[in-house]
Amino acid sequence: MAAPKVAVLFGFGINCDHETAAVFNLVGGDAERVHVNHFVSGTRSLEDFEILAVPGGFSFGDHLGSGRLMGNRMRFALREQLHAFVAAGKPIIGICNGFQVLVKTGLLPGPDAQNPLPDFVQRASLTLNDSGRYEDRWVTLEFDAESPCIWTKGIERIDCPVRHGEGKFVMPSTTDFDALAANNQLVVRYVDPSTPVGKGMTDQPLPFPLSPNGSMRNIAGICDATGLVFGLMPHPEAVYAKWLHPDHTRNTAPGPLTSEALGEWEGEGLQLFRNAVEYVLGNR
Amino acid sequence: MAVTRVEVTPKQGEGMRDVRGDVVRRQLMADHNIKVDEVRSINGFLIKSNLEKSEITERVDDLFSDPIIEDVLTNTLFLSSSEHFPTSPDAAITIGFKPGVTDNPGSAAYDGFKTLFPHHDHQSDASISTYHTYAFFGLPDDVTVEWLASTLHNKLIQRAVTADAKGCLNAQWPSIDYPEKPPQIRTPPQRMDLEISDEELLSLSESGLLALNLEEMKTIQAHYRDEAIHQSRAAVGIVADAPTDVELECLAQTWSEHCKHKIFASKIHHIDPETGEDSVIDSIFKTHIMKPTHDMQKEVDWLLSVFHDNSGVIAWDDDWSVCMKAETHNSPSALDPYGGAMTGIVGVNRDILGTGLGARPIANTDVFCFGPPNWEGELPDNLFHPSRVFRGVHAGVRVGGNESGIPTVNGAIVFDDRYIGKPLVYCGTVGIMPRTLPDGRESHIKTPTAGDIVYMVGGRVGYDGIHGATFSSLELTEESPSSAVQIGDPITQKKMLDMVLEARDAGLISCITDNGAGGLSSSIGEMATYTDGCEIDLAKVPLKQPGLSAWEILVSESQERMTIAVRPEDCAAFDAMAQLHEVEATPVATFTNTGMFHVKYEDETVAYLSIDFLHDGVPQLQLESEWHTPTPELFTPETISLPEKAGHSNLLLRMLAQPNIASKESWVRQYDHEVIAQTVVKPFVGVERDGPGDAGVIAPIHGDPHGLVISCGIAPRYSDLDAGAMAAASIDEAVRNAVCAGINVDKMAGLDNFCWPDSIESVKTPDGKYKLAQLVRANRELERVCRAYRLPCVSGKDSMKNDYGTGEKKISIPPTLLYSVFGDQPDVRFTATSDFKKPGEIVYLVGVSKEELGASELSFMLRDSGETNGIGGQVPLLPNPEINITTYRALSTAIQSGLIRTAHDCSEGGVAVAAAEMCIGGRVGADIDIDGTGDASVWSRLWGESLGRFLVGVQPENEADFIKWMTGHPITILGTVTESENLTISDGYDVLIDVETNSMVEAWQKTLDMTGGVA
Repeated sequence: MAAPKVAVLFGFGINCDHETAAVFNLVGGDAERVHVNHFVSGTRSLEDFEILAVPGGFSFGDHLGSGRLMGNRMRFALREQLHAFVAAGKPIIGICNGFQVLVKTGLLPGPDAQNPLPDFVQRASLTLNDSGRYEDRWVTLEFDAESPCIWTKGIERIDCPVRHGEGKFVMPSTTDFDALAANNQLVVRYVDPSTPVGKGMTDQPLPFPLSPNGSMRNIAGICDATGLVFGLMPHPEAVYAKWLHPDHTRNTAPGPLTSEALGEWEGEGLQLFRNAVEYVLGNR
Repeated sequence: MAVTRVEVTPKQGEGMRDVRGDVVRRQLMADHNIKVDEVRSINGFLIKSNLEKSEITERVDDLFSDPIIEDVLTNTLFLSSSEHFPTSPDAAITIGFKPGVTDNPGSAAYDGFKTLFPHHDHQSDASISTYHTYAFFGLPDDVTVEWLASTLHNKLIQRAVTADAKGCLNAQWPSIDYPEKPPQIRTPPQRMDLEISDEELLSLSESGLLALNLEEMKTIQAHYRDEAIHQSRAAVGIVADAPTDVELECLAQTWSEHCKHKIFASKIHHIDPETGEDSVIDSIFKTHIMKPTHDMQKEVDWLLSVFHDNSGVIAWDDDWSVCMKAETHNSPSALDPYGGAMTGIVGVNRDILGTGLGARPIANTDVFCFGPPNWEGELPDNLFHPSRVFRGVHAGVRVGGNESGIPTVNGAIVFDDRYIGKPLVYCGTVGIMPRTLPDGRESHIKTPTAGDIVYMVGGRVGYDGIHGATFSSLELTEESPSSAVQIGDPITQKKMLDMVLEARDAGLISCITDNGAGGLSSSIGEMATYTDGCEIDLAKVPLKQPGLSAWEILVSESQERMTIAVRPEDCAAFDAMAQLHEVEATPVATFTNTGMFHVKYEDETVAYLSIDFLHDGVPQLQLESEWHTPTPELFTPETISLPEKAGHSNLLLRMLAQPNIASKESWVRQYDHEVIAQTVVKPFVGVERDGPGDAGVIAPIHGDPHGLVISCGIAPRYSDLDAGAMAAASIDEAVRNAVCAGINVDKMAGLDNFCWPDSIESVKTPDGKYKLAQLVRANRELERVCRAYRLPCVSGKDSMKNDYGTGEKKISIPPTLLYSVFGDQPDVRFTATSDFKKPGEIVYLVGVSKEELGASELSFMLRDSGETNGIGGQVPLLPNPEINITTYRALSTAIQSGLIRTAHDCSEGGVAVAAAEMCIGGRVGADIDIDGTGDASVWSRLWGESLGRFLVGVQPENEADFIKWMTGHPITILGTVTESENLTISDGYDVLIDVETNSMVEAWQKTLDMTGGVA
C-alpha cells in the first residue's frame, strides 16, 4: 500500500517543519513540507493529503498572541478545505505553535460530540506561562487511555521537552472543562514523574516546573470530539530517538522500544506519529 | 489618514493573570529590591489607515484581542475606564517607539490587518504602531515615576509618557500618538573637495564619521589627482577631480577596520626588551592564522573553504558539509542591549545563509562578557548597569534565536569589572549544506558570471543602521549616534531564509552574500570582485521611507537583507518563489567585467571606483609593539586563615557562587536548545537536568546518529599576566570541552574571535604598544597550539576598539579571545556528560596539576574580598601541546568506544569545582583524594587551573580496560562516587573539604537566578 501522504505546513515562522516531516517518514509516512500559501492560493490542495501537521515555531513572531495570525490565515482562507479534511476522517495534529494555531482557528476543542465537525469558533486559548518566561525544559506527560484521540492510542506516559512562552491552556469556565473531560478530550496532562504510571493525572494545578506553564487542569494537549484533530504544547517529535533523551548517557532513557528505522534506539515520541499513519492505512 | 487606537488588557478573574505586569513587578524586586503590590499591563495599537473606526471596532476580536483572555477598547484609554481600572494607580507609564524604529508587533499586526481586510485599498503609508502601558499599584513612596520609566525604556529608541499618583487621580493619563516620521528630502550627490590641508582632511574624516586616518585620507586625495582617472570619470559624467560623498562613504565603509581588519593586516615592529627580540611581522593574520591553516589544508581533504567566504566550510561526510561563523556585536549592544544583541544573532545567521550557495543555520552559540551583575560601584555616564545589559542582551539573543528556529546549543557568560566599559556579545552559528546541489554544483563554491542580475532580498533600506561599520571602529563616547542602533526582525528573516534555501535547491542562485556592515556597498562590492565589476542603480532599492540620499542607500546596514545573483534566465522563477514566500526581492544591480564599481541613481553616475582601488587601495598600517611582562601583586593564598577542619569547604561554596562559575541555567533555559530535534547533549545535563554541559552535541540528519560537536573556550583574565597564555588557555579549553563529548580530534576546526582594546599608540592610548604586543603574543601562541593540535582556524573576526572614555576614566576590556571548535562526532549514541552516573563509579584525573594559581578564579575572588593582595603568580601554560593532543585523542576515542560515559573539563576553580559540578549533576556524593596528583601545593592541586586536565568517571567493570586504553597518558585515581550526600576532598589524611551536595546545588544556583521566582 502506498504510504499515507502527510502535508507538513511551513512558512511565516513555522520552524519545526523539517523534524516533523522526518518523524512521519520514519514511521512509514510520505511527508512533504508544503508552504501555507500553496494551500491559500490554491496551487496545492489539502484534498491530496491524508494527514495534516501544523508544526511548532513562531508564526508571524507570535505578536498579537501565539498562533493568532496564522490561525486567521487558515480560518479565512482554508475554511472549506479544513472542514472537508476533517469530514473525510483525516487526522490533523498541531504541535506547540501548531496547537496554538488550531485553538485560535477554533478547530480545537471544536463543537460538541453531537455536531463534531469544525465550526471555526474559538472556545479556548493558550496564554502566557505563569512564569512569564519562554523555557525549554523536559516534562512528563500522561495520556487518557479512554480518549477518542486516534493519535495517542496505547501511549501511557512519555518524557519530552516543552519549548514555549505561551502554553497555559485556559477556557472561560469549569463547565467547559467538564464537558471536554466527560468526552475524554483532555487527552494529555503534565504529571509528577514520581507517581505510578496511570495514576499521575490530576485536575489540581501542579507546581512549577512539573507543570511548566500553570495550565488549567495541567492540560498539555486536547483533541476534538472526533478524535481526529489533536494538539499539544510539548514536542513528541523531539524525542523520536533515545539519543535525544537527556538520560541517554545515563543509560536510563525510557524504553525499550524498537523499530525498523532506529533499532533499539527508538524514542518514546515516535509512536504518536505511527498511530496516525496506521490509522490512515487501516481506514483505506 | 485617520489613526484609530485599540487597547487590550488581560481579563481579570480566577486563574487569569496579567503576566506582563507580573514580569515587571518581579524584575523590580530582583534587580532593585523594590516591592510593588501589583502591576497591570495594557497593549496599545495605533492604526493609521483609511478605514472607519466602526469597521475596525467590529473586527477587533478577530485580530487585536483574544476574546477568551483579553478585554478590548477602541479609541478609549483603559486607564480612564473605571469598570476595568476601579482603583487609581500610583503611577502609569506608556512606552512607545521613536519614529522610524523597527516595531515588529506593529508590522505583524499590519500583516494581519491586511488578511482581515483583503479587499481594502491599503495605501503605502498605512501602518500600525504599538505601545505598552503599565499601571503600578502599591508603589513605595520613594520611587519616582521618572526613575521607574527610565528602567523600563531606552531613550535612544523609545519614548515614555508618565503620570504620577496625583496625575492619575486627576485623570491625566499618559497617552502616546502615532510616531510620525519627519519627512526627509533627498540630497543630490555632493562633490567632496579633498584639496585641503592635512588638518582639514582629518577633521573631515572625524566629523563625517568616516574613521579614516590621515594616510588613508591622503591616499584617496592622491587617487583623485590622477589624470587618467579624471578622463575615465569625465566619460561617465561624474565629477572628475574629486570624490562624491557616495564614493567617500563607500571607501570609508570598505576600508573600515571592521571590514578590512587593518590591525591584523598591519606591518608591526615588535620589540621585547626581555629577550632582546627586535623583529617585523608583516600581517599577524597572514603569518599566524592563514599560513598555518593553509599548511594544514594541504594535508587533509576535508577543509573545503577557508577565510574567503562568510564562514569556513568543512566536509562532514560524503553527502554533507558544515560551516561555522562567530561575530561580535559589542558597540550596538552597549547602546541598546536588546536590539544590538538581536541583530548580532540574526546577523551571523545570515553569514551562514550567505556561505557558498547558501547553508542552513542549524545551531547557535552565544558567549557574553559583562560587568558583574551585582555591581554596586560607580557607573560612567551613558552606560547601563551590567544587570540591565545582561537582561537586554539575553532577551535579544533569546528572541532572535528562538523565533528563527535555531537551537542555542553552547555558550558561556564571563564577568569582569572592565566589561562595564564595553560588553562583549559573541554570536556564532553552525550551518549545514548538501555537498552537491541537485544541479551538480558543489555548494561551497559561488558561480557568478558577468551579466548575472543582482537582487536585494528581504527587508528594506532605512535610516536605521547608517554608519555601523565605521561606528564599531570608533571608541564609545557620550555622543555615539543612535542611528547605529537597530532592532532585528527575525520573522522577515525567517521567511527570507525559507525562500533562499528553496531557491538554492532549485539551482537559481549563482552567488549570495549577506548585507551586514557596509550594506550594499560591501555586499555587492565584495561579490563584484568575482566578475571584476558591477553596475548598481540605487533608485531601484526599496526604502522604508522616501528621502534617503544615494550614499545613505548604499551604506545603510538595515537588517534582514541578502544580496543574491541570479542568471537572467532564472529571474522569473526566482521572482515567483519570492512572491510565494511573501519576500521582497528586487533586482538592483548587474555583474559586469569592466573592472569598475559603478553606482548610478537612475541615469546619473554617483560613484565610479575601480574594484582594485576599492578593495586593495587601503595603505598598510605601520604599528609599534613592545612587550614587558606585567608584575601585579602576587597571589598568596597560604596567608589567609582557614578553619581547622575541612577548611576549604566554605571556599568551595563561595567559589560555586562566583558569577563566573555559578549556574547560568535560569538564563540558558530560556533559549530553545532543542528545535530541529537534533540536540543530543544539551546545555544542562544530569539527573535533574541542571548540571553543566561541556559541549553541545547534535545529530542533524534525522534518524542518523552521526554527530557534530560544538564547543568554546574563553579565559580573558589570564591576559592580566600574559595574553599569550590567555590565547593558549582559550584554545585548550575549547578542545577539552569537545573531547568530553567524544569529538574526532583529527577532524575538527576552530574559529578565532579576538576582542581587544585599542592597540594603536596615541595620546588617548598611551599604552598602545603594550596592548599590541599582547596581540602579537596571543597570535603566536594561537599558531603554536593550533599547529600542535592540527586544528585549522577556518574563520574568525576581530573587534579592536573595545574601550570606553578617555584619560583616567578610560576603561579598556581585558584582551579576550573566544575560541570556538566544531567537528565530527562519529556516533552520538556514544558520548559523555559531566554528571556522575551512580555510586561506585571510579573517578580519575586525566592530566597533571601544576603550581599555576596566577589569575585563577580563586585569586580574583580572594583579592576582590580583600583577603589577599593580588592575582599575580604563574599563569597556566601549555608547554607541550603536541603531547596533550595524544592524550585527548586517547580519551576521546575511549568515549567513542563507550568505555566512558562521564567526563568533565577541569578549568575555573580546578579539581574542587569540577568534582562539585559532577556531584551536582548526578545528585550524589564522592570521596576524592588529591594526593598523588603532582608535586604542587595543596592550593594548586585543589584550586589551580592547569591546562590539559579532565575529571572522568569509570564504571568498575570498565576500569581495567580504561587503564589499558590510557597507557602512556597521565591518569591518577582520585576516588569513588558514593551513596553519601557529601563531597569530601582530602589530601592523604588531611580532609580539606566536606560539603553536602544539596548545599553545593544551592550555592551554585542562587547567584545568577535573577528571574525573581515564579509567583
